[in-house]
Amino acid sequence: MKKRTLTRLRQSVHRFPFWTLGLLGIIIVILVPVLYFFPRADQPSSNPADHLPEKPVHVDHADIVQGEFKTGQDVTRACLECHPDASNQVMKTTHWTWESKAFDVPWRDTPVTIGKINQINNFCIGSQGNENKCMSCHAGYGWEEGRETALAKQDNVDCLACHADTGAYGKGLFGNPAEGVDLLAAARSVRAPTRENCGKCHFDGGGGNGVKHGDLDESLYFPTTNNDIHMGGQLDMQCTDCHQTNDHQILGRMIADNYTIDPKEQVSCEQCHVNQQHADERLNTHLSAVACQTCHIPALATEDPTKVFWDWSQAGQDGRVDDHFTYLKIKGEFVYDKNFAPTYLWFNGNNEYRYLLGDKIDPNAITYINKPAGSIGDPKAKIFPFKLHIAKQPYDVVNNYLLQPITSGENGFWTTFDWNSAFELAAPVTGLDYSGQYGFAETYMYWPTTHMVQPSENALQCEACHGESGRLDWEALGYPGDPVEWGGREK
Amino acid sequence: MGWKGEIEMIKRNFLITLGLLLAITAFVGIRSALAKPEPAPVQQASPLHPTFALLDKDGANVLESNNPVSTMQTCGQCHDTEFIQSHAFHSDLGLSDYKENGGYNASTGTFGKWDPLTYRYLSQQGDERLDLSTAEWLRLYGTRIVGGGPAETARDGKSLTALQADDGNPETNILNAATEESETWNWADSGTIEMNCFLCHMDVPNYEARAQAIQSGQFGLANTATLFDSGLAIQTEDGFKWNQFAFQENGEINKNRVFIKDPTNSNCAACHGEVHPETEEPLTISAGDLNHPQTATTGQVIAAQRISDSGVNISGKNDINRSWDIHAERQLQCTDCHYALNNPAHADEAQKAEPDHLLYDPRTLDINEYLQKPDHNFARGQSAQFNVAPEYKGTMRRCENCHDANQGHADWLPYIDKHMSAVACETCHIPQMYAPAIQSYDWTVLTLDKQPVKTYRGVDGDPNAVTSLVTGFQPVLLNRTDIDGQKLLAPYNLITTYYWVYDDANGNTRPVRLLDLETAYFENSVYAADIMAAFDANSDGSLADDEQVIDSSAKEEAVKTRLESLGLKDPHIEGLTQPYSINHNVTRGENAVNDCKACHSQGSRMSQPIKLANYSPNGVMPAFDTANNVNASGEIAQGDDGAVYYDPVPANDKMYVFGSSRVNWIDWLGALMFAGTILGVAGHGTMRFLSSRKQPKGSARTERIYMYESYRRFWHWLQTTSIVILLFTGLIIHRPDIFGAFSFRGVVTVHNVIAVILVVNALLSVFYHIATERVQEYIPRPYGFFDDAIVQAKYYISGIFKKEPHPFEKRPDSRMNPIQKATYFGILNVLLPLQILTGALMWGVQQFPTVANLFGGLPFLAPFHSLVAWTFATFIVGHVYMTTTGATPLEAVRAMVTGYEEVEVHEHEEEVMTEGESK
Repeated sequence: MKKRTLTRLRQSVHRFPFWTLGLLGIIIVILVPVLYFFPRADQPSSNPADHLPEKPVHVDHADIVQGEFKTGQDVTRACLECHPDASNQVMKTTHWTWESKAFDVPWRDTPVTIGKINQINNFCIGSQGNENKCMSCHAGYGWEEGRETALAKQDNVDCLACHADTGAYGKGLFGNPAEGVDLLAAARSVRAPTRENCGKCHFDGGGGNGVKHGDLDESLYFPTTNNDIHMGGQLDMQCTDCHQTNDHQILGRMIADNYTIDPKEQVSCEQCHVNQQHADERLNTHLSAVACQTCHIPALATEDPTKVFWDWSQAGQDGRVDDHFTYLKIKGEFVYDKNFAPTYLWFNGNNEYRYLLGDKIDPNAITYINKPAGSIGDPKAKIFPFKLHIAKQPYDVVNNYLLQPITSGENGFWTTFDWNSAFELAAPVTGLDYSGQYGFAETYMYWPTTHMVQPSENALQCEACHGESGRLDWEALGYPGDPVEWGGREK
Repeated sequence: MGWKGEIEMIKRNFLITLGLLLAITAFVGIRSALAKPEPAPVQQASPLHPTFALLDKDGANVLESNNPVSTMQTCGQCHDTEFIQSHAFHSDLGLSDYKENGGYNASTGTFGKWDPLTYRYLSQQGDERLDLSTAEWLRLYGTRIVGGGPAETARDGKSLTALQADDGNPETNILNAATEESETWNWADSGTIEMNCFLCHMDVPNYEARAQAIQSGQFGLANTATLFDSGLAIQTEDGFKWNQFAFQENGEINKNRVFIKDPTNSNCAACHGEVHPETEEPLTISAGDLNHPQTATTGQVIAAQRISDSGVNISGKNDINRSWDIHAERQLQCTDCHYALNNPAHADEAQKAEPDHLLYDPRTLDINEYLQKPDHNFARGQSAQFNVAPEYKGTMRRCENCHDANQGHADWLPYIDKHMSAVACETCHIPQMYAPAIQSYDWTVLTLDKQPVKTYRGVDGDPNAVTSLVTGFQPVLLNRTDIDGQKLLAPYNLITTYYWVYDDANGNTRPVRLLDLETAYFENSVYAADIMAAFDANSDGSLADDEQVIDSSAKEEAVKTRLESLGLKDPHIEGLTQPYSINHNVTRGENAVNDCKACHSQGSRMSQPIKLANYSPNGVMPAFDTANNVNASGEIAQGDDGAVYYDPVPANDKMYVFGSSRVNWIDWLGALMFAGTILGVAGHGTMRFLSSRKQPKGSARTERIYMYESYRRFWHWLQTTSIVILLFTGLIIHRPDIFGAFSFRGVVTVHNVIAVILVVNALLSVFYHIATERVQEYIPRPYGFFDDAIVQAKYYISGIFKKEPHPFEKRPDSRMNPIQKATYFGILNVLLPLQILTGALMWGVQQFPTVANLFGGLPFLAPFHSLVAWTFATFIVGHVYMTTTGATPLEAVRAMVTGYEEVEVHEHEEEVMTEGESK
């Protein structure tokens, strides 16, 4: 038995074609060095589109949602039946609270929150007491009942503002649905938010198309590649592709209404453009000091004009012709600009200063509503493009702080054109005394620019910043002179 | 109204007047109180340069003398203007080199050298026909002449104003085109043009006013006219006046009027070519304009703007998102490379003649010394304008002075040193010109506006019409010899000119004077009747574009007759093709030529022809201009379409470009060898097959012998694989165009790697054979070799067909017959080493170019390598066929795989063989 096995084994060993080992050896000897030395193309850089979120399959709610809805709150209650956590999630977000977490700021003794709910800007100035109008952009209902009540109720979360087809829904007074809206049709149209949903508030912020941002306006509803490489063209990206959302917490913060921002909460180019630096080494040497946006957003408001100057002191004049772009009796004089170069500042993602209600001002100097943080000595700061909005807005001549008027409503300035009454009405709401004397002070507000990114062939070239006709004021930025000749900040 | 009323009125008027007076006083008082103490001082245009007085020729302040400004005096207050002028070829323009020779080229510079594009020539003393006198030369070219040199100094070195009028002297006369007579030129009236410092050292000189002054012969006014925009001088109807308000009390110009600054690209552009410093405004080009010669002759444009943003109607413009010139984009100025030679800022690169051990000599000029005597000879490259200021050739920073090619190309380009030693950087980095350039000027015919017939390359139609599509053109690559003797392939435009020449009284052949040509063609500004008769083919009374060409002997004869009637001896047509170097419009690597096959293939860039002209006038072919550093080794030939082309022939420059160059006879010989062997073995095989059918079946007695031990089999098959791969990859490198699927660079790498494997394998095998003494098998024994070989040959010729046994037994210790031994002896001792050697030398052109050159360089090594490769391929055919001659056709192959072979049993021969071996 054993012997037979051995013989068979020997036979099979004998039958084994040993030459195949030689063949294998030859293949190895040839292939290994060839593969080792074979020239490889550079590693393909990762495709930024790979980082786009996978879109969940849309569930058509047309058959799911049953009426009947009399109020917005009715709709929300219906939503909560299947999405019980949704309201709770939304109510934790700044979209609901309209204010930041409390910050310890060096110029205040107590921590303070910053946001539309309690602070002012240099556009329509402030929302407090103006809720009937301002809340048309708030994702909540029921502001006629006052702030505390409006914000406390789960039912007041406005699901439709972000999820309904914008053609089927619109908002009216006090954050409630506009009159005549078919709430059932709106509720049946719900889907993941699109640019239209976000755009309703963010493209028209400040009271009209493109007023506030300079890099967000209604041209982004149907953008071309040359308007925005991300939203235009093939990718047709939606806001939520970058401002990715977990439990209704949306990524990406705006410094205009914040003090410091945790970088983890931010959206950045590098999140998708991983290691996708330029082939040109010279350009890459810029990356430590220049933000992507600086070169890739060469101009603001490329399609629709944006407001760059607002003079409230001219408001209320009789006999002047109203024109959306130059003068409105209720708002004063404006300057709009289109396709213009941004203002450039060092920026590390935070505010160095944010004007808080009651902060003292020097009426003869420029008051900064916000001041982006960063300087040439700050290694985290990069040169970044901003839209600068300059305003002349009211202040209390005696108390030397900026005033927030009541503008909307029956007794608001827009009806009475009486500043004094507008300030007096506001005093109890804002808690700031009004001395009875007002003046107008110049204020600056900086809006970081990060949308309307251009295709690379439209990006800035060297001469845009360097050389005699360059757009950067090097000395203002802290350089001894043009870094082409004087060297960068690392030197 | 009564008197009371009158008094009332007087009172009222008085009160009103008083009130008004008070109001005015108050207003003025308040205003002066409110007004800021002093207006902010105006930003000085030139923050460093001090204010200065403008002096006239005699050194007096122009405000007092009201004379034109003298730059030599004014700038000479601080700077050594004499030194600057004597160190400035921009000023000299060939004057110092001027030698009368009776011909039409008296110097190497603009002043004296004939340019067939501008056509007119500077007349020398003693010329029978006056063309350009000095004065007319200035009027014609003065807008592009900086002054000083020939604009001030006569050819004998004296001042032009000191010349005595003399009928025959081209320096004191001017040709009146209307009367065709020469007239005296009064230099005292016209003045001369001093070297104009302002032209290059102010932001916006008034070029137009200056040109006007020069063209109208008011040379003395030219430099003052430059200042007409500066606010210092104001143009008036009868000349100009100085603006007193622009000057301080001490006679110096106001601080805010100091305009002196470093020359910018725009200053250089005024004379040299299109420069577009604007970024917003789309670039437009005035193409073919000889006032912008650099752009006109080559299409070079210095602009930072993206080509896609420019206003030129360029084909496919939207996708050309690179800038016109990367150096302009990166903010370089002309003067960064073409710097003043003694500028201490560039001391490092300007130093040349140092002791070898010294890397840097710190003993440079101090900045104040430099500012006093800045050398205005500017660093320059090695361009085709070979003869201008040859002593400064190669003084410039060139590509390799700033860029490290080894670093820049490390990640992709193999054989960097070899490439860099044969190809100028510009060749790849200026792949395409995007502006039109002149292709040809045909002066044999004059158009109605007395211009030559002009053609342009890189554009469909009129180069300046907005509707013309600018297609751009690829420069032709020519071999340039640098001053250090290095030969590099560099990009050029070729411009061809045709013109009439005649034999002048001195026996020199010279171009027909433009005035004579005009006289021959025109009568009262219309074509002469006999010209019309000859040229107007369709008899419509005017000459269409296609009729304005000398394409028949009749036309040639008509013009010739008319020229002869002017007293010109033996007028005939000549043609000249001149190279214009292209060194600007550089692009970054990603837009450069970076595909190997662009050069390494049949349609190689290096041998790509370029059209010279649409025709040759009645068969006259242009000659290549040899008075430069370009070696035009190619051929000028007429195509089937009648157009004239220049065909570069890299082989004539001793260049061998893999994939593009080949030696035809070697390929033919090799292919013949290869095909012949295939035919031979096919015939032999067929005969064996046929004869085997006739033979009775029944095989010879065989026995199974362990013929090839394992290592032997291993190295054999490894070598087989290597050789087959080498032949195949070699073929691809030789003819990449028929194997388009393979990456040229990858194939070259595989070829090199496999070659190393083959060499190592061969060495190990040699070691094995020597160590085991098996090497003896390969050595043919001289004694009786021929007899044995004849026996073996006879077997192949006849025995094999008769199924005779092999004459020599195949045994493990003696496996080869005499012919085999001889063959292997040849292959292993001659062919293989030769192939390895030539291959290694070719690989070594990168590392040890001198060794490769010792053996004739690539032009010899590469074809030789191909020839041996053919031999190897041929050998493989024979070798494989011979394996079928064993006991059975596949037995030998099987043996080489398994080691065991069935071989014929030889009984008596065995002894013979053994005897033979032992002898």
